Amino acid sequence: MNINMHNIIKKYENKTVLNIDELEIKKGLVTGIIGPNGSGKSTLMRILAGLDNDFTGTLHIDEQEVNPEISKHMTLVFQKPYLINTDVYHNIAYPLKIRGKSKSEINSKVQQVIELLQLESIQHQNANTLSGGELQKAAMARAIVFEPKLLLLDEPTANIDPQTMLLMENAISYINQSCSTTVVLVTHNIGQLQRMCREAVFMREGRVEKQGALRDVLSNIKGTYIGEFLEPEL
Amino acid sequence: MDYIMQGFGEAFQLLLSLDKEIYGIILLTLYVTIMSTCIAAIIAVPLGILIGLKNFRFKRTLIRLLYTFMSMPPVIAGLFVFLVLSRRGPLGQLELLFTPTAMIIAQVFLVTPIIMGITYNSTREKGQKIRQLAYTMGANRIQSLSLLLFELRADILAAVVSGFGRAISEVGAVMLVGGNIKGHTRVMTTSIAMLQSMGDYSQAIAIGVVLLALSFAINSILYHGQRVI
Ligand SMILES: Nc1ncnc2c1ncn2[C@@H]1O[C@H](COP(=O)(O)OP(=O)(O)OP(=O)(O)O)[C@@H](O)[C@H]1O
Ligand SMILES: [Mg+2]
Repeated sequence: MNINMHNIIKKYENKTVLNIDELEIKKGLVTGIIGPNGSGKSTLMRILAGLDNDFTGTLHIDEQEVNPEISKHMTLVFQKPYLINTDVYHNIAYPLKIRGKSKSEINSKVQQVIELLQLESIQHQNANTLSGGELQKAAMARAIVFEPKLLLLDEPTANIDPQTMLLMENAISYINQSCSTTVVLVTHNIGQLQRMCREAVFMREGRVEKQGALRDVLSNIKGTYIGEFLEPEL
Repeated sequence: MDYIMQGFGEAFQLLLSLDKEIYGIILLTLYVTIMSTCIAAIIAVPLGILIGLKNFRFKRTLIRLLYTFMSMPPVIAGLFVFLVLSRRGPLGQLELLFTPTAMIIAQVFLVTPIIMGITYNSTREKGQKIRQLAYTMGANRIQSLSLLLFELRADILAAVVSGFGRAISEVGAVMLVGGNIKGHTRVMTTSIAMLQSMGDYSQAIAIGVVLLALSFAINSILYHGQRVI
């Protein structure tokens, strides 16, 4: 799915937290969103996901306003995911269940992502007892199991060990390639940005500071705000 | 001290004697409390969820009122229902005063705010997150609502258990609107109060023991349900 935003303004009381003149996210690619804390990345993701309608401006996904039909094909993994009070298996099965899939289809798809994200040992554990990283893995599995056309990920690998991080990135690439899922990935990890993303958006104080192909966003940044921000990482 | 031991002894004798009157009292107690708890739950659970999810004007005032009603003294609820149902009251023609129905109405007044308040609190805590998850998963309204009920199941059961506890232990309201009429509106709590005032302590203890046992049994069933679901 491709996304177009025009003149998006989002306020909390009188504080403007998002002010985007123009933003394009291209179909089938992985786009990275970076920027300092509080720059509006999560707010942007909530708006893209259709969770927040309290803004002005236009948001088009595949040239349409967000509607229930479209939102069935997209999903958002929160910075702090909420898991249903049941075991990991049934959490992952949930999106398939509400789409009325057959038991055998559910089982084979769930097993597939359990394998992909190596969740075998915890699949029968209650979600409330998972560690932070396991929780994020389970939420990722639940998001990709129904093969969404748009996958919005808000810092999916915060609190994740390096080994598991590669596993998660692998899962993101897999869904991106096998289902041509468009992925929007908020990350503070520049290594991850460079490994995963063709496109990038740099946010600053609610505005888009720079957007485009990743190498363009990261070039000629010496002496700019972005250069300063990324300096410790590059 | 003797009469306490005697009371326990009599409790067993009472139960074993299959005394018609005592079983009538137990059955009426169960009927009134279960009916009132069920009716209250049917009203309070949906409303509690609704208030927990929606924002509207005067919500804060409503919540404050709700909390006040949660701790309303039973005699006040009893007095109110009494006045409404009394011969000269607005619903006097229904002739409900001093009937089990009047007792159920009074208890519904007491129990509804408790169940609603507890349900409201858990919904406020978790409701938004649950609905957002449902939305991101592509759930429709009904699926979203059923996920919400599923996630709040233990909280709702706890609310109902609290409401039931209030109903079965309450004496002031049912005394006022029921009148403790033998064989008609006498329940366990009102008989204890009456027996105590007549100085018949061992009988009072006997019924008290039965009431506690009953309450324990029903709570066990409900809590077992909470662990299972
Ligand atoms: N409910 C709210 N009420 C008021 N202000 C809010 C609310 N939610 C977010 N904000 C403000 O909006 C701004 C953007 O928040 P947002 O969560 O989008 O930042 P972010 O870029 O995701 O930050 P981080 O990297 O820390 O996750 C912040 O200044 C935040 O304080
Ligand atoms: Mg954020």
